[in-house]
Amino acid sequence: MAAPDANPFSQLGTDLYKQWEKNMTTWWDQVLDSPEFLEAMGKNTAVQARSRRKYEDGMDEMMERAHLPSRADLVRIGRICTLLEERLLQMEDTLLGMRDRVDSLEKETLEARIEAAEARLELREHLARLQGRLAADVAPVSDAGAPAAEPAPRRAKGGR
Amino acid sequence: MLHPHRTWSQALMTALPDEPRRALATLEFLANDPVARAQVGRSPHEVIHRQGKSALRYFAPASGAEPSAPLFITMPLINTWAIFDLLPGRSVIQALNAAGVPVYLLDWGRPGPEDQALTVGYLIDTVLVRAFDRARRHARARGGEGTLDAVGYCVGGTFLTVALARHPGLARRLCLLATPIDFHLSGRLSRWADPRTFPLDDIVDGYGNFPAEMMRDSFAWLRPMGQLNKWRSLADRIDSPSFTELWAAMERWSGDNTDFAGEAYREYVRRCYFDNALVAGGWNLNGRVVDLREGLAPALVLACSDDHIVPPESAFALASLWGAPVRTETLKGGHVGVCVGAELPRRLCSWAAEAPAA
Repeated sequence: MAAPDANPFSQLGTDLYKQWEKNMTTWWDQVLDSPEFLEAMGKNTAVQARSRRKYEDGMDEMMERAHLPSRADLVRIGRICTLLEERLLQMEDTLLGMRDRVDSLEKETLEARIEAAEARLELREHLARLQGRLAADVAPVSDAGAPAAEPAPRRAKGGR
Repeated sequence: MLHPHRTWSQALMTALPDEPRRALATLEFLANDPVARAQVGRSPHEVIHRQGKSALRYFAPASGAEPSAPLFITMPLINTWAIFDLLPGRSVIQALNAAGVPVYLLDWGRPGPEDQALTVGYLIDTVLVRAFDRARRHARARGGEGTLDAVGYCVGGTFLTVALARHPGLARRLCLLATPIDFHLSGRLSRWADPRTFPLDDIVDGYGNFPAEMMRDSFAWLRPMGQLNKWRSLADRIDSPSFTELWAAMERWSGDNTDFAGEAYREYVRRCYFDNALVAGGWNLNGRVVDLREGLAPALVLACSDDHIVPPESAFALASLWGAPVRTETLKGGHVGVCVGAELPRRLCSWAAEAPAA
């Protein structure tokens, strides 16, 4: 793109456009925010919407006379489908809630079993430690009290 | 300034060739129907839950990225979700996934005539809450904790705010992007949605749903000159393939509005625009009054500096109404443009990576 001041026509065009845009924006702002315009637009939209309603009602009546399903009938069926889907999703919610409870129960049971197993392991280790200590305590006693390799000869009865 | 050796006619000759050339190139570009051929919302994902027309879409994080807490994104009800995944390289979702953030996105779908009786209460308390539940279960099944951070955009953010006020346990944190809270500060839209001139009941009774075409035209008329500038910017930058690709994708998305379910629209406009009920109170939804002070999730409110649909003051109104701490920040850009810029993905990624407040 050419530099802004390289071409005076281009610059002039840009300036003119900017000025025109500014003026148009001001004009549109006045129009689009004026109460008269909004009121007229509102009335126009209301008339269009009411005409649409009348057209739809007329079409429905015509279809009914021809014993054909009307748009309103189809809308009703669609709405019933939506309600049925909602019922199914509510059941899904219930099932998911039940599964959550089962999962939580399973988790609790599992945790309880793990805790019990851990407690048993601890007990076993404790027991093993106790046995070790007992063995350690008993060993010197038995060493001391144990018979020598060659037991001392028993003193003869009545001997001096 | 003219060079002294050049005449005005010479200058004119050098000026003309570029303008007609670009005009012709623009016509040639448009003749190939680029808008119809533009493909948006292409990131791979799976639909993990459906209800009516709505779908919960799951976008898995990139493999090898540092895992992060999942985001639950609630999109507006008036457009398609593709604005968050417009093009590769201009996709909020893609950026989040690349940063290791799993994304669950609630796409409200396209309501048909059979959906005109759906109410705001149903959409929030049933559809939105259930989608949260399914997202949480899905996240847990994938080894996560099942806690979600929530992001809402525009009307989707308003619905999300109401949902989190009514069900505080849904999300750990909340981020709102361009979300109207004080509807009487919503600029021209709030002036148009005046109960004295806006024929709300006639429209809903007449059309059933609020028509997508009417929605599209209304937004276009918010800034009439913006439409002209759109074409002008295309002609000016027709030589840039990346710009023309983005232009076509934006056109594709902005022309693809969806109907707004009739009764929900009636209630939304009456309560939010007419009564400004999120600020003034008194909105009875499914037998319980909406009270934003009941919201417990810390919130980040992102507004856009050039937003003509939701001005920052409308979005920031949450700070004085929400029951938990609220941070407010302004991003550069407009209401839609911010979604395809680089700042929003960066900010969302940094927010997703923040450690939650204890």
